[in-house]
Amino acid sequence: MNVEVENINQTENEQLDTCETVLEVKDLVVHYELEDETVEAVNGISFSLKRGQTIGLVGETGAGKTTTALSILNLLPDPPGVIKNGEIIVCGHKMLELKPQELEKIRGKEISMIFQDPMTALNPVMTVGEQIAESIRLHEGLSRKEAFERAQEMLELVGIPGERAIDYPHQFSGGMKQRVVIAIALACNPYVLLADEPTTALDVTIQAQVLDMINDLKNRLGTALVMITHDLGVVAEICDLVAVMYAGRIVEYGTLEDVFVHTRHPYTEGLFNSLPNISDKNSELKPIPGLMPDPTKLPPGCAFAPRCQYATEACRAAQPTPTYFNDTHYVLCTRYNEPDFRLLTRGI
Amino acid sequence: MKKPETAVTKKKKKPRSRAGETWHRLKKNKGAMIGLAIIIILVLIALYTSIFWDYNTMIVKVNIPERVQPPSRAHPFGTDDMGRDVLIRTLYGTKYSLIIGFGATAIGLIIGVLLGAVAGYFGGFLEDVIMRATDIFASIPAILMGMVIVCVLGTSLPNLLIAVGITAVPAFTRITRSMVLTIRNQEYIEAAKCIGTPNLKIIITEVIPNSLSPIIVVASSRIGSCTIQAAGLSFLGFGVPAPAPEWGAMISLSRNYIRTAPWMTLFPSLFIIIMVLAFNILGDGLRDALDPKLRR
Amino acid sequence: MIRYIIKRLLWLIPIIFCVAFIIFALLDLAPGTILDTISTENLTPEEYQRLVEEYDLDKPMVYRYAKYMWNLLHGDLGRGEATGLDVWREYISRFPATLKLSFAGLIIGVALAIPLGIIAAKNAGTWIDNLVTGFSMIGISMPSFCLGLILIICFSYKINLFPAGGFDSGFKSMVLPAVASGLLMAGTTARQTRSSMLEVMRADYLRTARAKGVPEKRVIRKHALGNALIPIITSIGNTLAIMLAGSAVVESVFSWPGVGRLTVQAVNSRDATLTCGCVILTCIVFVVLLLIVDLLYALVDPRIKAQYTAKKPKRRKEA
Repeated sequence: MNVEVENINQTENEQLDTCETVLEVKDLVVHYELEDETVEAVNGISFSLKRGQTIGLVGETGAGKTTTALSILNLLPDPPGVIKNGEIIVCGHKMLELKPQELEKIRGKEISMIFQDPMTALNPVMTVGEQIAESIRLHEGLSRKEAFERAQEMLELVGIPGERAIDYPHQFSGGMKQRVVIAIALACNPYVLLADEPTTALDVTIQAQVLDMINDLKNRLGTALVMITHDLGVVAEICDLVAVMYAGRIVEYGTLEDVFVHTRHPYTEGLFNSLPNISDKNSELKPIPGLMPDPTKLPPGCAFAPRCQYATEACRAAQPTPTYFNDTHYVLCTRYNEPDFRLLTRGI
Repeated sequence: MKKPETAVTKKKKKPRSRAGETWHRLKKNKGAMIGLAIIIILVLIALYTSIFWDYNTMIVKVNIPERVQPPSRAHPFGTDDMGRDVLIRTLYGTKYSLIIGFGATAIGLIIGVLLGAVAGYFGGFLEDVIMRATDIFASIPAILMGMVIVCVLGTSLPNLLIAVGITAVPAFTRITRSMVLTIRNQEYIEAAKCIGTPNLKIIITEVIPNSLSPIIVVASSRIGSCTIQAAGLSFLGFGVPAPAPEWGAMISLSRNYIRTAPWMTLFPSLFIIIMVLAFNILGDGLRDALDPKLRR
Repeated sequence: MIRYIIKRLLWLIPIIFCVAFIIFALLDLAPGTILDTISTENLTPEEYQRLVEEYDLDKPMVYRYAKYMWNLLHGDLGRGEATGLDVWREYISRFPATLKLSFAGLIIGVALAIPLGIIAAKNAGTWIDNLVTGFSMIGISMPSFCLGLILIICFSYKINLFPAGGFDSGFKSMVLPAVASGLLMAGTTARQTRSSMLEVMRADYLRTARAKGVPEKRVIRKHALGNALIPIITSIGNTLAIMLAGSAVVESVFSWPGVGRLTVQAVNSRDATLTCGCVILTCIVFVVLLLIVDLLYALVDPRIKAQYTAKKPKRRKEA
């Protein structure tokens, strides 16, 4: 098994040499235009990913993470969802300018995605082997038989016996279904994998297993990973870069060390503080007060200001501009225009 | 002693507001409102004609000189083979179809819901017997059953009602039983049992009101199919006996004149189609209004 | 799976017993007997008595029922009292005609309905959708005999395109009756197709397929339709069963020599044996057809197949 993986890596490496930055997102703005109102889901996001890197997109529900991922693949549900602005480049391909047929060739082959709910992600009337093989046949032109054999190998790779390729999805448990989903996504060895909260819907004990498996495969196959999650623990385990999202913007961006050790943004501080402290049994939980703003009625200034203990009039008046701490680490916080501003409990 | 009172008033409020909400959603559906309007008009026609029109002089009196006349100013729908005005007879015939549509469905509903509720609630041997009997009954095609029953009882309106009504029972039994099975496992039933509420009271106050939505949906689609079935039976000669102007019977009589006097066939047919269509559209609207999750 | 099939077929036995009993009981209650429908004026009292004895009319109903069932178990459906013809032979000779009609109706109905339903689903909410929905509503609201007669008026008399009845002109004579019985099928199937497709269109596994790079055409054809067809097939099967059973009406309108007409004649002449035979045989067809539909359902949906082949769990008493 390992020999074959290495072979894959070798041929891919020859191609990858021309593709160092596997994913680039520039100033992405996405709205959902409904009958009576417009949801401003994503409001100017930029990040890039190099070969083999992992970035964690962290944030609460409604921050715009899934919308970002779907936009990368240009899979937004088209009546309400509209990409208002931005560029998305996957290995040199400008995703937003391509025709559907060209997009279909890239999806699954150079970039793929796994979704949150494994229970509904698989077609109930096709065997799991067929569903994996479909991807392989489409992109690599193998015969039915060869593709099915490759599918069985993929199943083994994700820890499922190859003989089960002839079984139907309903015969698998939730964790195993998610592994099948992962097998489908990685079948053609894409450069980038988008993982939208892949473990949230699973039991806690299974979560760790699936996460380990994703990490392991990512390392072996050299896949870059965009890990969307609300769980800081997951980020700590596998991510190189971190982007903290709030109300459709990246409010803090940096390497794992930048964001976890040298935390700068008040929202990120709030996230860390809201984690329960196991060792201190007497301390109270410290949630961030208030709720995320209504995405149809975003305030003119900083979106976090209403909930922020450090907010000033300047914060509420206008959108913050990025403040850079080093090459990789920046925040969107107006308070950092003052030279001596520091967070009270973190980043010291 | 205030608590029991507030509990009771709370219960009374819930169904009212649910019904009100449903009505509100129904109103928005244009098709359903048109269907409702048509049905109300038909009911009014039936009432008016039964009360104010003299059966003997207007409906059945034979008028040979004017027989088989095409539509004209005097007779907008033409006349039939006995010289009777087709428009008048068609309008009068509304009451038969309405009575059968509503009546047969009501019979099916009352018997079916009772059987289904009992089967679902008590389970065990009783459930098995009822459901097996229902299955056997449902294996007999409805029209055949209707034919035989009317043959036995004789051709008259009440007998037709019974015949069609009986064939509607299985659908209601099945849906009620499956709803009851679902509800029976809900926690509020357990709670009611815990405080000692007698079974019958539980069935009446908790189980049946909560199963209403799908029952209403089945009922509304049944009215249409009962009407068609009754018309079919009448057409075959198993319905209301001549000279009653029941639409199916009128069409049956008109067969001999189909080449020369198509209006005798067309107008009653048109009325049947309109009435069933109205019920079906209203039924669809009810279904959408009762469960917003079903909307596209 | 075989066990499941056998279990279903075994149900036929109680069904036959019960149906026969119901028919006999009902016809017994009916006023008049078979003798009222055949001309008895010219018979002498002895000849009349002889007929009474031949038909066991002087014996209680249960006796006649038992005799019938006994014969039935030996495969003998008896002879119709009114016609003297062998029940089995009469039914079987007419059965192909009914079958032909029902299947023609089925083909017309389905060929129309499925594409229309898909189009309606794809264009949900637009005028196309409303048109298709309107057409389906009319289809299910129109009694088949009304439609049949209207078709006759339009296409047989005003424009002499198709014959008004009978079996003789081969293919041509089948067109109008097939359309008349097929419209109900078209209406229900179109509605079912549309709602099925709409539901499937929202499914997550379509998103997975698209994310894999499956071309849109194939997403619709293989993934969406493949799943949507399941309830559609069930609906078609059920409607076919209803069509078969209700063939009596269409056959009467078009003088089509089928099984339905035979049954009507039997009931009208109070011929207990013939009626019983017709009803029982039609019931059997009904039940077998529904079984085939269920099996087809299992064929298409592997989850159902698993249910049918699963071993029966031991019954547990409720706590």
